[in-house]
Amino acid sequence: MKEKAEHKEWYQLDLSAIVYPTLQRRDFSSVYRLSVLLKEEVNPEVLQQAVDRVMPRFPTYKSAIRKGLFWRYLEPNNRPGPFVQPDVKNPCQPMYFNANNRYLIRFYYYQNRISLEAHHSLGDGTGGMCVLMTVTAEYLRLHNEAVIENGGFVLDINKKPTPGELEDAYMKYANAKVCPPRPGEKTYRVRGTKEPFYTLNIIDGIMPVSQVIEVAKRYNATITEYLNAVLLYALMTKQEEEWHFKLRPVKIAMPVNLRRFFPSDTLRNFITMIYPGIDPRLGEYTFEEIVAHVRGYMRYYINEKFLRGDITTNAATQSHPLIRLVPLFLKDFVVKQFYSKVQDRNSSAGLTNMGAMKVPEGMKPYIERFDICMGQPFSRRTNCAIISFEDILTINFASSIIEADVERVFFRKLVHDGIHVKIESNREMITE
Amino acid sequence: MSYCVNCGVELCASAKECPLCNTPVINPKNPGQGQGVSPFPKEKGQVETVKRKDMGILLSIVVLATAITCGLLNLLVFKATAWSLAVIGVCVILWVIFIPAVIYTKQPVYVSVLYDGLAVSIYLYMLAYMVDSFMWFWQLGFPIVALLTVVTEAFIFCVRKLPKSFLTVGLYSFTALGIVCVGLEIMIDLYVHDAISLLWSAVVLTVCIIIDVTIIAMLSIRRLRNAVRRRLHF
Repeated sequence: MKEKAEHKEWYQLDLSAIVYPTLQRRDFSSVYRLSVLLKEEVNPEVLQQAVDRVMPRFPTYKSAIRKGLFWRYLEPNNRPGPFVQPDVKNPCQPMYFNANNRYLIRFYYYQNRISLEAHHSLGDGTGGMCVLMTVTAEYLRLHNEAVIENGGFVLDINKKPTPGELEDAYMKYANAKVCPPRPGEKTYRVRGTKEPFYTLNIIDGIMPVSQVIEVAKRYNATITEYLNAVLLYALMTKQEEEWHFKLRPVKIAMPVNLRRFFPSDTLRNFITMIYPGIDPRLGEYTFEEIVAHVRGYMRYYINEKFLRGDITTNAATQSHPLIRLVPLFLKDFVVKQFYSKVQDRNSSAGLTNMGAMKVPEGMKPYIERFDICMGQPFSRRTNCAIISFEDILTINFASSIIEADVERVFFRKLVHDGIHVKIESNREMITE
Repeated sequence: MSYCVNCGVELCASAKECPLCNTPVINPKNPGQGQGVSPFPKEKGQVETVKRKDMGILLSIVVLATAITCGLLNLLVFKATAWSLAVIGVCVILWVIFIPAVIYTKQPVYVSVLYDGLAVSIYLYMLAYMVDSFMWFWQLGFPIVALLTVVTEAFIFCVRKLPKSFLTVGLYSFTALGIVCVGLEIMIDLYVHDAISLLWSAVVLTVCIIIDVTIIAMLSIRRLRNAVRRRLHF
């Protein structure tokens, strides 16, 4: 009982969460999707029961976002919901803050798939995965009378949330003595025809983990390094195929889960971005050179020291007394301008790797695989998300442009390297 | 199990073409290809509508309270004239204008404009009742409101149902402007002189007609249209 969190009336947004609501547009919200595919069809009534039982365990997800004079904040949401609903063809639709009973989370079901969509201001993929796994475990307990032990991503719904789960972990570790500068270089932007509103093109590549590990080892790289290199190779190829007055560097925005380096139980955002990339202006790169470059970059930058510096830089802006006193609408304007003019142009695509999912032993027999979608990109480009379970690795591309050039080069490279890839998509391009 | 001949990837049973390169899947050994269950749903979702119920209730209460208190003040304290009708009329107009924004968001725009016209007419009628002179209302106020309502409805219809571009919207706008100006002068002349003698509105109408003819010419000649588009793009 010592760890019981005090009853809170509201929660400050964490350091990352501050940015996402400012980017909100009529046709864009920072929404991500996590899915689990079971081995049998989902029963929506039981799923709703599971959601109802689990949601009180996650107060920061059962919340609504509100505007204050200087900052937005989260307040507990006791309205009915969230309700499970049949899945749709176009996932990650915009999430308006005062629609859907003010919930910033959605649950979908389709055949054997349970999907969770959450606004990024509530938390990152790890937090969202805790919600999804706890709901799935509860669903399996109710529906299949499965004996599933708590642990890992499955939290005990009979326990109160701990203060650590609700904390803004950034501020705990933003204590470097110097603020390293942010990268601010314009990068290559994918050219393509924008899809109309309500359309998000999904291409899922499903492949055996063992084959990907084998190929990555051949290049002396980890899975993340290898797949990063393949995406850079695809973007570089796309840039070469297009006519450009001058070439630009190709970079990938990749979130790093800070929990690996800074102990924290937080279910809210605790990620920072790194930008592995290559600069085609320096000469032609072979694929092996790209892999070597990415490997070097990631091994140099992904460590506690550099990441601490990065957190400190981000926190310095938010904690500056003058900035704190600026009214919210001005902050919104400046942040939006900065994001669209600088931050968004820092990278040509996004890539996230949730890694290998570990589930309690009692859950394993019921789960086929996982899927993850980074959601609608802020600008015209494609986002890549990777997740694996047992021997199945899923690579998901979400894009709001009609052309699938990057995806095509990406998956062809994997096939060329000897990986068996199965493609699933929601695209319907054929002309009848 | 079918594979894309170009990409070498395996395709799911429901795929009719490769999602990566759009190559149709033709597998003579698997005639059922393209018939399987899709891994993604077919139905498209819609964004949840924003409910502004609270805002609607608040606005209605504020408007109603203002109207009632002013009415009571007029009845009980400042009794000299029926001044509260002016305030009540403004309250009615405000409420009617805000219906589509906060109370009933699905209301068709044509109905909203019609209600707005009616609300303004009621307001003018209240003013006429207040000053005890109805002639200006029937001969000037109401016809002008009716004309503006009809022209606005027609303009909205054209923008929504007819081809819409920078040029066509210009065409509709200038036509509407010409009609409104001529209508206004006719009504003012009838009210003041009991006879129609167009003067300033004829100048406006002429300019509008010249602009309209130019736009129609640009719309009907593609070469001209493209040239204008090139030179005026922004």
